[in-house]
Amino acid sequence: MTKPKAGWTHKTFMLLLMVYLLLPLAATFLYGFAKQWQTTVLPEGWTLEWVREMFRDARFLDALWTSLYLCAISVALSLAVMLPAVFVITVYLPKWETFMKGLVVLPYAVPGVVAAVGLIRAYSSGPLDLSGTAYLLIGAYFVVILPYMYQGIRNSLITVSAVELLNSAELLGASRSRAFLTVILPNIWPGVIISTLLSFSVLFGEFVLTNMLVGGHLQTIQVYLYRRVGESGHLASAIAITYFLFILLLSTALMKLGKKMNGVAGR
Amino acid sequence: MPYLELKGIRKTFGNAAVLNGVDLAIREGELVTLLGPSGCGKSTLLRVIAGLTDPDEGSVFLGDRNIVALPPRQREVGMVFQSYALFPNLTVGENVEYGLKMRGAGKEERRRRRDDLLALVDLEEKRDAYPQHLSGGQQQRVALARSLAVQPKVLLLDEPLSALDAKIRKNLRMQIRDIQKRIGMTTVFVTHDQEEALTVSDRICVMNGGSIVQEGSPEEIYAKPRTEFVARFMGSYNVLSRMEAARLFGDGIGTAESYALRPESAKLLPAGDADSGKGEKAGGRIVDARIEAVSVLGNVLRYSVSAAGVPLTIDRLNDGHPLREGTSGAVRLALDPSQLLQLEKEGA
Repeated sequence: MTKPKAGWTHKTFMLLLMVYLLLPLAATFLYGFAKQWQTTVLPEGWTLEWVREMFRDARFLDALWTSLYLCAISVALSLAVMLPAVFVITVYLPKWETFMKGLVVLPYAVPGVVAAVGLIRAYSSGPLDLSGTAYLLIGAYFVVILPYMYQGIRNSLITVSAVELLNSAELLGASRSRAFLTVILPNIWPGVIISTLLSFSVLFGEFVLTNMLVGGHLQTIQVYLYRRVGESGHLASAIAITYFLFILLLSTALMKLGKKMNGVAGR
Repeated sequence: MPYLELKGIRKTFGNAAVLNGVDLAIREGELVTLLGPSGCGKSTLLRVIAGLTDPDEGSVFLGDRNIVALPPRQREVGMVFQSYALFPNLTVGENVEYGLKMRGAGKEERRRRRDDLLALVDLEEKRDAYPQHLSGGQQQRVALARSLAVQPKVLLLDEPLSALDAKIRKNLRMQIRDIQKRIGMTTVFVTHDQEEALTVSDRICVMNGGSIVQEGSPEEIYAKPRTEFVARFMGSYNVLSRMEAARLFGDGIGTAESYALRPESAKLLPAGDADSGKGEKAGGRIVDARIEAVSVLGNVLRYSVSAAGVPLTIDRLNDGHPLREGTSGAVRLALDPSQLLQLEKEGA
């Protein structure tokens, strides 16, 4: 008797949670296609006007593209630096892990506004005048995703017992770099893909740092959305939904890619 | 001349000395076991041979070459880990071929060696399976085949059976010993299980606190433990203080501080039967005793008895006529003084 009852509670809870999470999204979606929505529960009429207007605005696609390549460059840079670094620290220099653990929580400890003001002051004059440029933003993005990349890569390495795999490979005659490429990388790849994906989503949604660092100079999708909210709620909803769908498609594609690689790895 | 020789190996981690100048010489084709409790340094010693841990001092000779400064991949040493450490992204066959590939062997040779070795460990039909679809015992056999594929000069086994369950463990250890003998592979086997050590080894080195405390054939190690540590570690030995030994055996037991008595070396006799002591070896002693408890170990019955106030463990063959505790549990114990072993002081 207790089991069906527990199932019922469970289901209700899940349903409430889904409603809580999806209702704002559904409302935004409806609002983006509504002609009139004032005093009724559901909109009185539908229109594609907002979506059309959005796509007519060249700045929208520009902003989307700017965001996309800035995030992609930042994540790629982070991957290129962090993958070898975390590997070396986890496998050969475990003593440094305490230091790294301290380092990766710093982005959480410093509020975005404080970090932005600090960065602007540090780079607005002197030898490196980067204020308002994409370089400064990429640098800041690198720091923002540091915790995700570090934890993700480190956990993957520990899950596959990288040290033992490496020892085995070396005893069988592989050089360190060859061992890394043949037995470590293929096994941690699925985990690394997930971290990359997560980092990308985080950056794509980041607003505070982006707006403060490059808001006046570079139109990213976040900054663009912020500008248009004041003009029309309908238009802003249409942009938000498109932005959301874009991330959804991107995530699904990357997930599929990750699964496919998993399949190759024979799991 | 020894095939593999360790000289004065020392290693400290922080302030803790893990290896205190270990010397060990191994002949070609011999299987030597490093036996000891966890933390005795046996695995560290194995890793020193493999090159995975650098010793602070000492040298490792393989043949007449000092390999202590060489990286693992140039040592021609194979190793099997407790956790198998198979490559999950490769099939069983590719795992076995891996070392040959790294050494630049041709495709033909790789395939031939792979098939030979999978046949040796009896896993031909699993060639295209992935390691995670194999049982623990099968995975460990693949690991064995993988390390043998490159024809190492020495094979190192680091607790290879400890992650397996009892039945498979017994089976696989006989299989490992069989393969080792067949191909004459010089092998160092690390374990904390004395039964395992006794069944597979040509020679056992008992380790404690970073040193080898006793070295000898399984028979020697079992029958003549030199120190109290070895006696206690090798199983159910009764370790007696000088006073306890004197109470059981009288005077003339020598000058040692502690003694060891094997549980099967004393005989239990029914109480009150005056003649039953006859026929015992001259110089044998009969002591009154009381049975405290009996446990059945299968072919052996293990009695906890108290003889002259000294608690002893006595084993008796389970011949279908168990000696039950009587109303008082009173029995008599026939002791043979020649079976009493004098133990040296620790560290002597």
